[in-house]
Amino acid sequence: MRLGKLGVMAAITTATLVLAPSAHADVDTDFANELHGYGIYGPRDYNAWLAKITCDRLGSGRDAGAEKSAEFLSHNLPRGTTTAQTWQFLDAAINTYCDDLMPMLASVAEPNR
Amino acid sequence: MHRPRHARGTRKRRAFRAGIAILAGTLAAAVIPPMAQADGTDDFPIPHRMIVTTCTAEQILAAARDYVPVYYARYIVDKHNKSPEVQQAAIDNAHYFYSLSPSDRRAYSEEMVTHFADPMTASWPNWAKIFFNNKGVAAKETDHCADYPPGDMSVWDG
Repeated sequence: MRLGKLGVMAAITTATLVLAPSAHADVDTDFANELHGYGIYGPRDYNAWLAKITCDRLGSGRDAGAEKSAEFLSHNLPRGTTTAQTWQFLDAAINTYCDDLMPMLASVAEPNR
Repeated sequence: MHRPRHARGTRKRRAFRAGIAILAGTLAAAVIPPMAQADGTDDFPIPHRMIVTTCTAEQILAAARDYVPVYYARYIVDKHNKSPEVQQAAIDNAHYFYSLSPSDRRAYSEEMVTHFADPMTASWPNWAKIFFNNKGVAAKETDHCADYPPGDMSVWDG
């Protein structure tokens, strides 16, 4: 019986060790796929890194609000990216990598709230 | 109607000479371009904009943080993987470079590519990557560096 429990625990641990990296990699892929839906392309790793940097800047206060984040992104997304796409990138970035900061995005959408 | 024999001979000679000219041109093109490129551009080994900029290293890094953020993030990660001594040496080297006049920077750059035993380069080959290695990055940095304070040392920490 104890051996059975141990076996189950071992199986769960092994599954966690094996599955965790691929689950993490899927986040970047999901993010890239969402961007594709907005017509935003480019290297997957670059976009993921840019999104994470955007989160860091917003979270640390380097960018004081979502408008500043959008301004930062506008300098670093490919030329020809529209304002709407920039905000779609920002929304996807926050939603994917730092959803605790979503209120900062919502405050732009509803400034009088 | 047949063409005159001498005319055909002249044509052959012309073709032969044209062939020689093309061959010579091809050989010259194969041999000369690297030298011509090296002589004809001010961007090697250090981009011209970095030679003439009046910005400090800190201003350039601040611009990199905002305009080439992934490149900047990689550089800072790389830097933090070095010993404190090597990191400080990189800062000192950057300060030294940007304290030089443009002509002295050019001389420095010529020395840099031939001085393989340079201790700074030996301990951190990419120490100046964010400043010198990429013409496009250098362009973005120098386009915006003047907008930042000259002595903000926090830019070295990321």
